[in-house]
Amino acid sequence: MPHENKRAVGIDLGTTNSLVATMRDGAAKTLADAQGVVSISSVVNYTDPQRVRVGVEAQALASEHPADTLASIKRFMGRGNEDARDEAHRSHYALNDGEQGMVGFETSSGVVSPVQASAEILKALRSRAEQTMDGTIEGAVITVPAYFDEAQRQATKDAATLAGLPVLRLLNEPTAAAVAYGLESADEGLIAVYDLGGGTFDISILHLHRDVFEVLSTGGDTALGGDDFDRLIADWVLTQIGSPELVAGQHRTLLSLARDAKEALSESDDILIPLGEIGTGFDPLSLSRTQFDALILPLVKHTLRACRRALRDAQLAPDAINNIVLVGGSTRVPLVRAAVAEFFQREPLAGIDPDEVVAVGAAIQADILVGNRPEGELLLLDVIPLSLGIETMGGLVEKIVERNTTIPVVRAQEFTTYKDGQTALAVHIVQGERELVADSRSLARFELRGIPPMVAGAARILVSFQVDADGLLSVSAREETTGVRSSIVVKPSFGLSDEQISGMLQASFSHAEEDKNSRILAELCVAAKQLLEGLEVALAADGDDLLKPGEMDALRAQMEKVQAQLTGGNVEALRTASDQLGRDSEAFAARRMDKSIRQALTGVSLDDVSEEVSE
Amino acid sequence: MTTPDFQQSYFQLFSLPRQFALDNTLLGERFRQLQGQLHPDRFASKSAHEQRIAVQYSAFVNQAYTTLRRPLDRAFYLLQLAGMSAEEVSAEKIDGGFLIEQMELREKLESIADLVEPETVLEHLILEIAADIKAHEQEFVAAFTADDISGAASACVKMQYLGKLHREAEQIESGLLD
Repeated sequence: MPHENKRAVGIDLGTTNSLVATMRDGAAKTLADAQGVVSISSVVNYTDPQRVRVGVEAQALASEHPADTLASIKRFMGRGNEDARDEAHRSHYALNDGEQGMVGFETSSGVVSPVQASAEILKALRSRAEQTMDGTIEGAVITVPAYFDEAQRQATKDAATLAGLPVLRLLNEPTAAAVAYGLESADEGLIAVYDLGGGTFDISILHLHRDVFEVLSTGGDTALGGDDFDRLIADWVLTQIGSPELVAGQHRTLLSLARDAKEALSESDDILIPLGEIGTGFDPLSLSRTQFDALILPLVKHTLRACRRALRDAQLAPDAINNIVLVGGSTRVPLVRAAVAEFFQREPLAGIDPDEVVAVGAAIQADILVGNRPEGELLLLDVIPLSLGIETMGGLVEKIVERNTTIPVVRAQEFTTYKDGQTALAVHIVQGERELVADSRSLARFELRGIPPMVAGAARILVSFQVDADGLLSVSAREETTGVRSSIVVKPSFGLSDEQISGMLQASFSHAEEDKNSRILAELCVAAKQLLEGLEVALAADGDDLLKPGEMDALRAQMEKVQAQLTGGNVEALRTASDQLGRDSEAFAARRMDKSIRQALTGVSLDDVSEEVSE
Repeated sequence: MTTPDFQQSYFQLFSLPRQFALDNTLLGERFRQLQGQLHPDRFASKSAHEQRIAVQYSAFVNQAYTTLRRPLDRAFYLLQLAGMSAEEVSAEKIDGGFLIEQMELREKLESIADLVEPETVLEHLILEIAADIKAHEQEFVAAFTADDISGAASACVKMQYLGKLHREAEQIESGLLD
């Protein structure tokens, strides 16, 4: 195994700003542009079809081309048109009735999806990182709010794929923040991460024990953040000046003035809002911190309610928390800090810049996952933020995986047919805490067909849910008496299909057919080599121990077949051989897992615990 | 999807004695030790096949941990190991006295919002329910140790009733605090 460090980055893809960080000289650092600015505004402009603009450059065009300039894109990620309409109206975007109810913005460069716009931001971060690090990024950890649902996570992953970033893991933002602090101060105990960003609010309760972070519970609101503070100020201003009609560009200016006012009020008790910038005939207006506090108090209280819920889910009292980590620029608002400190009866940590702490944590985790550090250093055990279930009779939801269950998780539940001779069963997968399907989020539907006709209630249909470490779901259904099975990897209704992604990738690369083939071949070769190297190491360590001679020979033979195809240049043959080797080696891999379970608990003698009663 | 075929029980997985009384600290430590080995993040740069198997194993360890950590789930699981399915446990007969007590507690809970000082009354009620749960846990242990599986199942169902009531009371409490 080569010892040189792989290039890995942590990315905070934020509602307002995005950052990229990496390990440099032993510490995680955010990467700045030539001017020394670390964050990129999460704004994309599509006025010129030949050139998509990102960041400040795009921001500068916002007032002039409001419909072409997409900001707060994260709020639209993985949302359907129905969900997004109010949001779009407030932001003055033109929504297109996209395929499958997907959100699409009408711009001068055509219809743009939130996934595509996010990919542009990720590309900008990627190229900044590749310039700084002088080479291709080999792995990225991208952060998402803990409260992001299935569809929103999938959309984020799709955007990364589109931007050509290999995703090691989607990481919950609060967990990333705790990683940033945890490694530097080596704390043990209970941590609350209060994350009030531009567009989302998250509260997470984490348990840190030696090298392991365990997420005990999460809560929050995907549609609450500092932008809402700005909006409240803007609405207040409009009421004060007699609610004049503003055009979209003027509205933008007002919002940006509101943001400046909010930031200034973190330092001063009283400020003057220069409304003249909106247009002639507007006079400056004064706003005090007391007035501002009164405006935002309901929202701040709303966040504390979510804190209380998260604590209850973790079965803890507020004073049980040892550390509070603040994340997000909005935690600079004095009222927010004071309210959090009062609620937890403790002063929050603020050693790391609340705007950078997430990217810093993600970079540390990326460094670990890409394999730059010895194993066993740090482990993150996440939970799913929302319950997953399926629709049953009468439009009711049967929960299969409860919210705040530690992932990965595999759960199965048995169902039956309700009509005589029923040969198919529709499986409708939903997400959320409500009891009615109508109130829940629909994730996917599929059908189990080919059930032999039986009397109602005789079929035994086992529906299994599997959620991986990224929080992404796959569901399968099997009729137990006959073994008929059907499964689906949940591509949420509002995400992109694999075909759409590869279509977009092709469009963006516009490679000739051979080029595309050679890229696929190159990717396959890398994967196959990885498989072979991994197996060599595994065989050397455990081959004699865990494999019978015949099994070892068979595995070796298949390895040689793959080896032979590495240089053959035949995509299909290499794929077939690699897939076969993967399947052949599964049993061996499973035995190794069993062995490592036994080894993990060595030193624990079974005799010690046989019959004694411990309390 | 192949599921790891663990022959061992959750207790064996964590090398803990098969009984209701449990050392939570030890369970937590061993859980983290195992996840330290098996979690898919440990295989992030390995082949897709290894990653998939890691997901299965890691999920099994999570399932085992969650089941043993929660007293009610642990009781159900012990009964399951003793050959009793969840349905059979739920069908176990409960004495009428307990059910009447339950109804009374429930009525108290439903009328709590009308009281002058609901918080104080509710707090007492929650403590009362929690003490009741503990008492039935003891009932479970006594019956289970004496191989009275039916008695243990009955205690388990009572724990379940009370647990539900406890959650509802907590929800009402959070509503009052908001």
